Amino acid sequence: MKDSLLFKALSLFVVAAFALAACGTPAPTEAPAATEVPATEAAMTEAPMEEISLRWRTRPDNQEEIDVYSQISETLDAELEGIALTYEPGGTEGTNYQEQLRAEVAAGTAPDVFWIPGTDVADFANRGLILNIADLAGGTEGFDVDAFYPGPMYHLTYNPETDATGADSGALWGLPRDVSTFALYLNLDLIEEAGAPDPRELAASGEWNWDTFLEVAQKTRALGSDIYGYGASAWWGPYGVWLNAAGGGFFNAERNACALNTPGSLEGLEFQRSLYQDYDVATPYGEDPEPPFRAGKVAMFQNGRWATPGVRTVEFNWDVVELPKGPSGTMGNWLFWGAYVINAKTEQPEAAWKLMQALTTANTQGEIAALGANIPSRVSQEAFDAFLTFTPPANNQAFLNGLADSPATEGPLWAGSWPEYDKIMGPAIQAVLTGGSTVEDFGATICDEAGKVFTN
Amino acid sequence: MTVMPDRSAHPTAFILRVFMVWRGLFALLALVAVLGLWIVPGLGASPWQKIVLSMALCIAALFSLLGLFDIAKRLHRGRTISLILDYLAFVACLVIVLNTGGVFTGIDALADTFGRGILYLGIIVAGYLLGSLSDRYSHRPATERWLGSVSKWIMIAGAVLFVWKIDAVNGLLFFLRNLLQPAGWIAVTGIILFGLSLWGMWHETTASRLQVKTHHEAMLNGWLFLSPNLIGFLIFFAGPLLLSFFFSFTDSDAFNPPNWVGFENYAKIFNIRFTGLASPDQLAREVVDTKIYDEVGRLRLGNGGILFAAADPFFWLALRNTLTFALFTVPLSVLPALILANILNSKLPGMKFFRAVYFIPSIAAIVGIALVWQWLYNATIGYINYFITQGVEFLNTTFQAGLVDPKIQWVSDERTALMSVIIIAAWQTMGFNTVLFLAGLQNIPPELYEAATVDGAGAWARFWNITIPMLAPSTFYVVSTTTIQAMQVFEQVFILMNPAEGPNNSTITLVLYLYRKGFINFQQGYASAIAWVLFIVIFGLTLIQFQRQRRSSIYES
Repeated sequence: MKDSLLFKALSLFVVAAFALAACGTPAPTEAPAATEVPATEAAMTEAPMEEISLRWRTRPDNQEEIDVYSQISETLDAELEGIALTYEPGGTEGTNYQEQLRAEVAAGTAPDVFWIPGTDVADFANRGLILNIADLAGGTEGFDVDAFYPGPMYHLTYNPETDATGADSGALWGLPRDVSTFALYLNLDLIEEAGAPDPRELAASGEWNWDTFLEVAQKTRALGSDIYGYGASAWWGPYGVWLNAAGGGFFNAERNACALNTPGSLEGLEFQRSLYQDYDVATPYGEDPEPPFRAGKVAMFQNGRWATPGVRTVEFNWDVVELPKGPSGTMGNWLFWGAYVINAKTEQPEAAWKLMQALTTANTQGEIAALGANIPSRVSQEAFDAFLTFTPPANNQAFLNGLADSPATEGPLWAGSWPEYDKIMGPAIQAVLTGGSTVEDFGATICDEAGKVFTN
Repeated sequence: MTVMPDRSAHPTAFILRVFMVWRGLFALLALVAVLGLWIVPGLGASPWQKIVLSMALCIAALFSLLGLFDIAKRLHRGRTISLILDYLAFVACLVIVLNTGGVFTGIDALADTFGRGILYLGIIVAGYLLGSLSDRYSHRPATERWLGSVSKWIMIAGAVLFVWKIDAVNGLLFFLRNLLQPAGWIAVTGIILFGLSLWGMWHETTASRLQVKTHHEAMLNGWLFLSPNLIGFLIFFAGPLLLSFFFSFTDSDAFNPPNWVGFENYAKIFNIRFTGLASPDQLAREVVDTKIYDEVGRLRLGNGGILFAAADPFFWLALRNTLTFALFTVPLSVLPALILANILNSKLPGMKFFRAVYFIPSIAAIVGIALVWQWLYNATIGYINYFITQGVEFLNTTFQAGLVDPKIQWVSDERTALMSVIIIAAWQTMGFNTVLFLAGLQNIPPELYEAATVDGAGAWARFWNITIPMLAPSTFYVVSTTTIQAMQVFEQVFILMNPAEGPNNSTITLVLYLYRKGFINFQQGYASAIAWVLFIVIFGLTLIQFQRQRRSSIYES
């Protein structure tokens, strides 16, 4: 072609234009904004010289949460004078939020403020990846550590150098975003059809314990070979409650030694084993129980508040009830939490601290809790009252009862590696619950193996 | 060999003197940069980064000086060195300019940009196609000119709209503004200087003064064409490979500077014990120091047995699972593929359709495949168990067979979890292997079959004595690549199993384990050591296959 030169020139021009158009986009992973602004145009919008840019990230579980966090980011952007915010959804459970975040921390490209699970706080703090904001908090008028649940704050104020904890420990690693506990999601239709007692009534009358739990599970299981009385996922949370409720637990009180072989832990494990092996009332351990529950084939499904949005779509009658009380007189429930922390490499720690406070106000937490996926991390009657209105489920009080029952706080291992501990404990417990090992064998060997992860 | 003609001696002599100064200056600047690396505070580079950069700069300075002396002696080697050094420096400066301009950090935004500009890019292409039509009207010059003119304006209009739509002008301004910082203008200056130097040295007259022969030119051209791939290979493959080898001797955690630990990581992997047991159920703690070792497995022999313990039991479990996986996956994805290829190689109608059907699993996204299988395998509501239940009920009802529904817990039972992964992997790999075998089958000369048929050979004899030996190269390739692939199994396990290690670590594999060590526990030094051990295992297996191939190959004999 005669105009091939022109075409070549245009081709080069187009390639160059693409490269240029990629320039100046500050946050490629930015969440969809309400009004779409061309990337370069946004980049070209001149910001005042004194305005500070901050990136923040938290793990949402679905698009609705992404939208709410995006909205919150826009609101706070307007409220926080001199601070320009960029919200990044990060990832979800399926896209490895933690791994992606850690890789970015290692590369020095992580956001200024980000969320991490409670179990990760010690690891991040010990490696020097997050800021100790005790000094910033100390100089902030009106800030009160005790405004949040004490369990998370115990770990968030833990000073590994002095072993001190609390407001005066000299350490503050972050602020909790929210809290959650386990409850049992009930398929009321199945329970009624089986003629089993209503667990909510049993709980109200103080008769909701392991025996009555087993009775309901057995009666509903008898409805058919594909109907199960109980279902729980295969991770440390669900199996841990049975150990806690029997007076055992993962660690000793100081959290510096293995307690999986204590009588309480073994009793709890034995009861749970019997649910799977002897009474055969539970969905097979290791299989995701949520699909069969949503298909109407599981009477009692153990999960946290985060499962509520998904369960709201089922077509049968459902509600929640707190976990049954075990031999120790408690439910053995967990207090799950995660925290906003400040990147140790942030260039704007003061602005990041302001953002962190804004993200954990009662108002902000209320907006997120209204979605139904979590519970505000501030202890206040106002927050409780608001939470009770976020229905269904009708019995939201079950979650608050879980919080009031001295739950064991999900927490980091300051004296060892939690991922290593989990990696040893999980398969060993799975072997017991699937019949590959006995509780006696488990008790005889587990702490030899798991004890190695403690550094002290 | 012919020497390139010397057309203008005097200006070239001056240029060569300039080049000698340039080479000296280059060496000096490189050494100053080394000093700057270690003296200027706040550069943000870690010690090992400084060491690597210093070494590279020192080598560059050394070669630049060598080039200087060679140019002085009018040796062609001086030109080669000069071109290579300036080319590499030019590329480095270009990368710095693009990086400073924000091109790489905004690369993700290209999807959005492309989406906005694609329509107008289409207008340019349409204009070009219209212009290409003009060639058909060479017998009607007026029409030809008109089409050419219209196509030109359409392309220009498309380009203008494209530029407007993707906001390229603002991007250019932003890019230029970003360059107004020391790193930016130094790199731009570098591009100009190194570009001029390349142009001058590449010039024909300079080449002729330096006694460059045509084969020297040919060699340089070859390297030039290879360079994009070669530079990419060195930076993105060889570099990380060497780095991981270095990390395997450190305690690197990706966050802090690594400390040298020598062979400690390897020693931990291979710290194993085999101990006799007084009884088959004797506790491990009674025969080994459980502060160091954990039980991996035990062999029960009569009233006693042998205990296998290791300081890192997960590595050995992972190795066992990986080898088991490969042992089953390779034959299950090769033998059916061979049979299938023979069937699909027949002249029956519809074979092309089936060839495509069997190939689909190979090109389907592994995430989607694993999620679909996850549902199929579900023990309570999965289709596989549903059909088994239906089958059992049918047999019991119709034939009073008295069968018990096995209710297999495919992914949650340690006895079946690995097999579930093997089934997916074999199913997925079989189609690709079939295509490879098909290609091999179609290369077998039909005369061989005709001669064998004339000699009275049956179908089986022809398959056994002609097809199998003649397919040996294809079989070797298929078996080797499938084995390597199987030893690197990761995605299927990672997505299918929850947790990925499977019940009682029954699906933990070597790549999964090194991923966990490297990116969850962030023991990247240890993960690197695992990666190198895995490499040695795969290398060893492939070597054995090569040797067996050499011995048995019909082509060798």
